Amino acid sequence: MPQVIARFVALRLLVSVPVVLGILFVTFMLIRIGKQDPVAMLAGPLADASTYQMIRSELELDRPLLEQFAVYVKRLAHGDLGRSWQGGSPVLNEIVTHFPITLELVVLAVGLAALIGIPVGIRAATRPNGWFDQLSRFGAVTAFSIPTYWMGLMAILIFFYLLRWAPPPMGRLNLEVVAPPVITGSLLLDSLLAGNWAALRSYAAQLVLPVACFTLVAAAPTIKQTRAIAIEVLGSDYIRFARASGFSRATIRRMALRNSLAPILTFLGTELTSLLAAASLIEFIFSWGGLGQLGLNAILQGDFAVVQGYVLVLALFSVVVFLAVDLAVLLLEPRSHRRA
Amino acid sequence: MSAVTALAWPVGVARRSPTFAVGAALVGFFLMLAVLADLIAPYGPTQAFPYEVLKAPGAKFLLGSDGNGMDILSRVIHGTRYAFGIAVPAGAIMVLLGVPLGVLAGYKGGVLDEVLLRILDVLRAFPSIILALAVVAATGASLVNVVLVIGFLDSPIFARIVRAEVLALRHATFVRAAVAAGNPPWRVMAVHILPNAILGATAQLPMRMAWAVRISATLAFIGVGIQAPAPEWGAMIRQGAEFVISGEWWVATFPGLALMALVLGFNLLGDGLTDILDPRRKATGK
Repeated sequence: MPQVIARFVALRLLVSVPVVLGILFVTFMLIRIGKQDPVAMLAGPLADASTYQMIRSELELDRPLLEQFAVYVKRLAHGDLGRSWQGGSPVLNEIVTHFPITLELVVLAVGLAALIGIPVGIRAATRPNGWFDQLSRFGAVTAFSIPTYWMGLMAILIFFYLLRWAPPPMGRLNLEVVAPPVITGSLLLDSLLAGNWAALRSYAAQLVLPVACFTLVAAAPTIKQTRAIAIEVLGSDYIRFARASGFSRATIRRMALRNSLAPILTFLGTELTSLLAAASLIEFIFSWGGLGQLGLNAILQGDFAVVQGYVLVLALFSVVVFLAVDLAVLLLEPRSHRRA
Repeated sequence: MSAVTALAWPVGVARRSPTFAVGAALVGFFLMLAVLADLIAPYGPTQAFPYEVLKAPGAKFLLGSDGNGMDILSRVIHGTRYAFGIAVPAGAIMVLLGVPLGVLAGYKGGVLDEVLLRILDVLRAFPSIILALAVVAATGASLVNVVLVIGFLDSPIFARIVRAEVLALRHATFVRAAVAAGNPPWRVMAVHILPNAILGATAQLPMRMAWAVRISATLAFIGVGIQAPAPEWGAMIRQGAEFVISGEWWVATFPGLALMALVLGFNLLGDGLTDILDPRRKATGK
């Protein structure tokens, strides 16, 4: 068994190398052949031609495109992601400080979405086209159709401006609160570890609205997928056989859940990776200052080094998540051993 | 056709799939607004009243006025033209590019199929919003660019759906009969395979059009898409975002509601089509 797993992991990592390189290549070329001129943005409107050329050669933009990419990959192999063109700080540092902030938001949202979406989806699947199914389906499609950023704005309007329940949407901590020392990068854990209750309370209050919006976004497709998966499982021969054998409803439901788990898990994996990117908009609305906002600003400002690093993180994250999900499926379902 | 049967058809569809009916009604409503925008809207979409800035909804401005003193109702109505003006051509590109590609890849296999699968791998690992953002930021934010980017990015989805159907059909008896009868490959693909492989893609089209409406508004909201004062819903929400905290709620709320309703309409339409076209559900009579 450990051998099977080791081989599986090694193979998958090997296969993902060309995909990640492909994504990096596409991004690299895309931003460089575009109309955006980062040199002009950096040099400012008053710069003369020689200053412009100097910046251009400093950023190595005057070399052939393929050579630029080769140099980039070579440095990447040594763990060097370059420096931000705007602030000058190492891209790796930027990512290490911003990534946990967004990860915390996304994990909370997907976790809550799973807690809501899976039971609702299964309940809907037990009586397809019953009133509960119709209602949950309509609710899911509606939630799915709300633009994320607009939902954030409406949440701020209602809960901050009208009801005054939520704190101002200005980042993760109230300005009067001292942040706990960074240990894990997750503010929730860090303030717990430091015993900093003021920070914990402030952070929790700030978290409510963005997490709620994000959960709604994530719950809608979870309901839809779970329902589809559960209907398929409940219609299968072995469940019909179990019913005919006279097992109790609870037992049958447990069997169905157990067999739906693998595809649901796979779906939650895709959800996790796509939400990491979608986080940009929610972070933008709530001035959250995580990875999403970092990437969004980098794209808008033509900070190619950070854009490249951001895309790399997204790609690697999806590789790791899909690998973890497939491993879990492998352990859950002995059937898939042969396929591996 | 008598008047009775003409009326009975929509009623029958509505009974079979209420989802489809609601979706069709919503999309139809907005389509009507788009066509009749000049007749319905009380003012021009960029007609400004400089002395009546940020007026709350009232008798003169039913949905209020924005920071430039423009009527929000008129702008929301004219915004439907941007929504359909992007969704319809983008949807056409998706289908016209993706469907033939899928038929070809599925039927011929080989290198083309491999290349298509690799592109799909990369696209799947690449969040669509980030890709769209990067491409539009790079190519420049004109209406034509936004349409092209959305159309191109989504065409592989259609290619994949059609490819899967074609793979299943390739060895069907009627296809083998067509080949044996001496039809050239293009004829087998166009006449015998295509009509049988296209159903799945049909249900997908409204959902992808919903996505097109949504993502073009998102781009405008971030500031890389269509720019204000053009009456585009995303750009209008962007204009209104700064006023939410100071209480002028109507500027961002109404364009967002319209955006949500149209996206919902397209999604319900797609959902209903899936129901209607799925023979398994019909067979069970549920």
